[in-house]
Amino acid sequence: MTLQVAPPDVRTPEESRAITERQSGWLVIAEQESRDLWTSGRGSLLLFLFSILLSAVTYLTSTNQALNFLEQRESVNLVLQLAVAVGVLVTLVVSADGISGERERGTLESLLVTPVPRRSIIAGKLIAALTMWFATFVVTIPYVWVLARGVGILGQALALGFCVGTLVAVGLACVGLLISGVCNFNKTSIAASLFLMLILFAPTQLPSGLPQGWFFDVLRRANPVDSGLAYISSILVNGHSWTQDLSYLITPLLTAIIAGGALILAGPRLVRLTPGVNAG
Amino acid sequence: MRALIMILLLAGVLIELPAPALADPLTVEVVADPPVVSTVLGDHFEVSTEVKNTGTKPTGEILAHLNVASIEGSVYVDPEDWSSERSQQLSLKPGESRELSWEIQAVNSGQFAAYVVVVPFGGSVNGNEQLSISPLVKVDVAQRTTLTAGGALPVVLMVPLLTGVAAGTALFRVRRRRGAGT
Repeated sequence: MTLQVAPPDVRTPEESRAITERQSGWLVIAEQESRDLWTSGRGSLLLFLFSILLSAVTYLTSTNQALNFLEQRESVNLVLQLAVAVGVLVTLVVSADGISGERERGTLESLLVTPVPRRSIIAGKLIAALTMWFATFVVTIPYVWVLARGVGILGQALALGFCVGTLVAVGLACVGLLISGVCNFNKTSIAASLFLMLILFAPTQLPSGLPQGWFFDVLRRANPVDSGLAYISSILVNGHSWTQDLSYLITPLLTAIIAGGALILAGPRLVRLTPGVNAG
Repeated sequence: MRALIMILLLAGVLIELPAPALADPLTVEVVADPPVVSTVLGDHFEVSTEVKNTGTKPTGEILAHLNVASIEGSVYVDPEDWSSERSQQLSLKPGESRELSWEIQAVNSGQFAAYVVVVPFGGSVNGNEQLSISPLVKVDVAQRTTLTAGGALPVVLMVPLLTGVAAGTALFRVRRRRGAGT
């Protein structure tokens, strides 16, 4: 039996602290950014508007006298789809403020001098933006409960909304951060994200009764929001199993992988100061 | 003379015209059970039918097909919503009988008639065969309202109220901090 003695720690306290900070830097940034999002009132205000939208749709759905048993599944589907779509698109807009907003407010400089790797800054901002999605999902739960309790699909609807929504939200939050990193001005970044939001959201509003050829199917599958919603609909309304239409999740998954990969690779170059852009 | 020739020609044409041939009627008897079903909107129920060949020849390929119709008011009925498997193909020897089950879901409220019709099947069908129809199964579907405005109202009001209070508090604190800063 050999007694093993640990080598003495030769690091200085400053070095140790720097290493600790580097290891949990993303967590510190995530905490700071989340606090900033929620205590500044931005997140709370968006959440309030989101709840008004869901309340209006839920009330209209529940007062519809023509609803019957089968259509109630569709009403659950309608509210859940709206919640997922709006929730992930709000997340996109919040993440689009992540880097360009810091640049414009003049706070990016102080962030860059902290001993945190730039990839950790991006990871922290990504997590903070995702708290917006998680908050919208928590707000969605009572609405889905009201509509789904009578038809016994509450657990299924919530699990489905959470899984699909989180996948789409991760992809779109990465896209939003990429846009924010590329754009020098926050207005440009927000405008580009809002435009992207419209592009992604508009096809979900097309009437389902239209003739659906191969081009419509390609468009639907190419859109991460629309294909995610189609997956939810196929399970909740058509009664398909979770594995039957998994191909609908390819685009959301690819979006998350490609945008996330691009963020990891290009992140250090995106988080930078730009000449001529400041708070003034 | 010309009139006589015309009459003879016309008579010849009429004699040559083939008379519509009546195909052998289906010697099939269909019995449905139960005669009355009382259920609630959204519930599933089953109707059984017994198809029996009462003739002396094999039936050949035949098709039993379920249909649902509203017998009250003007309720729109889409039978595909009621049952996804509405056709069953079979063939019966003389005297043979087969029991067929039909899984049905009540998707509208009101009074309905469910019945099974047996039709000949295949390329040898001429188009004027007699059909065999089961007795009517009366389906009474009671309304079930699981979704009401009253049930949704607490959530519809409370959630925006809570998020509004949270947003208002956050904005008030920000303004107070800014005020203290200046």
